[in-house]
Amino acid sequence: MAENTIKIPEFKAEWKEGEAGRWGMVIDTDLCTGCQACVAACAMENNIPFVGETDAAYGRSMHWLRVERFWEGEYPEVRTTDFQPVLCQQCGAAPCEPVCPVFASVHSQAEQINLQVYNRCVGTRYCANNCPYQVRVFNWRDWERPEPLNNQLNPDVTVRRRGIMEKCTFCIQRIHKAEDQAKAEGREVADGEVIPACAQVCPADAIVFGRLDDPESRVSQLAKSKRGVQLLEELGTQPRVTYLKGA
Amino acid sequence: MTAQAQPISHAHEGHHPDPREHLMLDPKPRGEMNAMVMEAMHATSWKFWVVAAFLGLVVLICLFGAWGYMIMEGLGVAGVNRPSYWGIFLVNTVFWIGISHAGTFVSALLRVFKAEFRRPFTRAAELMTTFGLVQAGMSIFMHMGRVWLSYWMFPFPNQRQLWTNFHSPLMWDFLAINTYLLASTMYLFLPLIPDLAMARDRSTGWRKALYRILALGFRGTEGEWTHLRHALGIFAFAILPVMFSVHTIVSWDFAVAMRPGWNSTIFGPYFVIGALHSGIAAVAMVLIVVRATMKNMKYFIRPEHFDALGKLMLIVSMAWAYFFFNDYMVQWYGGDKWTDALLHFHEAGPLGWMWFGMLICNVAIPWLTLWNKKVRTTPGLLFTIGLLINVGMWFERYIIVPISLTINRMPFTWREYVPGIEVPLGIGTLAFFILLYMIASKLVPLVPVWEVQEGQMAHSLRKFGKETVVTVSDLE
Amino acid sequence: MPDTTTLLAVFPDLDPAARALDELRTLGIPEEQMNVIAGIPVTEAMLGRPRQWSNVPRLALGGALAGFGVGLFLAVGTPLMYPVYVGGQPLIPVPPSIVVVFEMTMLVMLIATFVGVFLDSAYPSYRPKHYVPEISDGKIGILFHCPAGETQKFTQALIKLGAETVQPAEAQPL
Repeated sequence: MAENTIKIPEFKAEWKEGEAGRWGMVIDTDLCTGCQACVAACAMENNIPFVGETDAAYGRSMHWLRVERFWEGEYPEVRTTDFQPVLCQQCGAAPCEPVCPVFASVHSQAEQINLQVYNRCVGTRYCANNCPYQVRVFNWRDWERPEPLNNQLNPDVTVRRRGIMEKCTFCIQRIHKAEDQAKAEGREVADGEVIPACAQVCPADAIVFGRLDDPESRVSQLAKSKRGVQLLEELGTQPRVTYLKGA
Repeated sequence: MTAQAQPISHAHEGHHPDPREHLMLDPKPRGEMNAMVMEAMHATSWKFWVVAAFLGLVVLICLFGAWGYMIMEGLGVAGVNRPSYWGIFLVNTVFWIGISHAGTFVSALLRVFKAEFRRPFTRAAELMTTFGLVQAGMSIFMHMGRVWLSYWMFPFPNQRQLWTNFHSPLMWDFLAINTYLLASTMYLFLPLIPDLAMARDRSTGWRKALYRILALGFRGTEGEWTHLRHALGIFAFAILPVMFSVHTIVSWDFAVAMRPGWNSTIFGPYFVIGALHSGIAAVAMVLIVVRATMKNMKYFIRPEHFDALGKLMLIVSMAWAYFFFNDYMVQWYGGDKWTDALLHFHEAGPLGWMWFGMLICNVAIPWLTLWNKKVRTTPGLLFTIGLLINVGMWFERYIIVPISLTINRMPFTWREYVPGIEVPLGIGTLAFFILLYMIASKLVPLVPVWEVQEGQMAHSLRKFGKETVVTVSDLE
Repeated sequence: MPDTTTLLAVFPDLDPAARALDELRTLGIPEEQMNVIAGIPVTEAMLGRPRQWSNVPRLALGGALAGFGVGLFLAVGTPLMYPVYVGGQPLIPVPPSIVVVFEMTMLVMLIATFVGVFLDSAYPSYRPKHYVPEISDGKIGILFHCPAGETQKFTQALIKLGAETVQPAEAQPL
């Protein structure tokens, strides 16, 4: 490989090309069965409201994680296609962050993930427009939680009201729990100690979560796989989710 | 047959236009003009009240009623969805900011370049700026998910220990629109002071009290005029870059985003010229209505003004076509997969008629009609053309906002946008604009009488050989 | 000034007013004892009056500098006080800062210009003033102080030059 002799000073960005980040995820689309268990688990864990048929059909479903399904070819010669679970890619250089006028979408320096601060959000929805992955969802209404669903709310997660934006947090409540535990015991968080809801329920073990800054962790090993691709890599958003595809 | 050589005849021979067709060459004593303007303000027929009451009802129901309902229910009652997170609210914001640009254009740019035809309608245009910005601001507030917290966008020290994000184009927007609203209101008020003093001198009752307060004690001493002249000079020059910055920043809301079809470097000037396109057409429409409905306005607003505005509309239409083609060409040639998809969607998608309608209204109709002086000086025709241009420009913004948002890089999320409560709210802003303008036309001398008198003093006829020519002297 | 009277002469047009001002000068009224009130912006040059001083441009400049400072504070100062990182952009991004500084410069400059008019013209002032409403009908008023007892002389001189009325100026509520 030819040595690149031109040195470009990185004066604009705070991030560096190819920087690993702290937390990351690998999704093996060859293993994914499209069972939607991750979608349901995510909704349970994160108090995501159910919007009903009409609004869901109109593009207002609020799932932080969706399983995309693509058809290739014309009927009846349809190739069996992949399922592609898409969630917030926790970009290192997230396009959603700088456009928020009130700092509701910010970068966590500690966790190296993209935060949405619900209480700051005024609902301009610019972040959602600027997200190339379209993974942000908006609370279009105050959705009802009919009995007994209100008893199912997760006390570790804020319940959001109408007019604000939300998105996948990598189950930050679980990350913090594990970190607190590790700190109390005076050790580092072990690999596999933090499991987000989606990974926890995946029957095919297609979702792997862990620390990217630990080269020995399972997620780091998998992310280096030759099958690994990142969504819309060419945009330079530094996503923290790697998809494994095509054996 | 032999051709008889004809002497070359002068085009103007046998046709001597009456110089009094021009307002500047048809002077009236100042007192008479004052009385005319005051009468226009006072004379109010029952039709005015009927229209005002109707508009008030529309504003109450469509604007405040619907808005209140939407605040209580959430934005779900509007048509916005994923991926069209921005809908008609933002279309209307851009549209109204566009309307507001014409006022500044007329009263600042034409003042800087001493275009004399501006004189009788600088104020009528400036009022459009202020009231247009009010509608634009309201449209932004409607768009926000939690409008009751909109003051969080104000940069002020607070208990949250958090300032606003100056990386965000919306923050620049907030600063620019506020600057523009304040600046244009001050610029509306300053040249109004002498006219308010005029109104104070010939009013009684509550009007006297009102104008007395608003005129601030203006007499017209040398010092007062000097300070006013200096200030107007500074404003005329300084408000122009502000005006350009406002719509450029509005365009950056789209252009800096990582989206196919939006990420274009030409959006700044393209939006500015688009704003002028709809704005100047709207000025012409307002003037036609004012002339037709208000007393004595046929003296102040004449076919020559429609002629000049029609020419401006034609030039701006050409400039708009130039920028549009620039943008289109680069996007088309680039060959980016998503941009290609978007362009096809614009032209051949379910709302393709809107794309063609935009080109017909913005380009074809002005080009085919406005070269003709007869058309330009016929109020009814010019009004229709202005209306069509505004429809075309609204289409343009609709194509840029919700239609372009439909296509993104994740085809799984593509979904069409169907407007909901945005429609009555948009109608409400239009009604509110007209209502505010109607009220202002009864409270504010709509013609800057002192500017007209100054212009009439500066104009004279001069003979060059046989030809009589209008000359202007520079009084300042 | 106990030994002077204030007279207000009203002229129908510019030319007689200019001639009257010359006459007043020859009669020994100093420039600063005269003032012209008009319904249109009559420039000093038209009447041969000394240039009026205005602080408005200076105030505008001061406002521009202050606005520049405000803009810098917002764009540079606030992120330094409360650093929040977004989108991999630097804490103090240069191009967006230029936008903020520009808008604030223009805003404070124009506010200073506006306030400057108020300060220089002592607005608002609703005290009774020497004024007649005819002035906003395009008449030119000349307000001057003359020695008490000589009012007759001045009145006659000005009437001869085309003054419509010359009266002792009464402060009247506007």
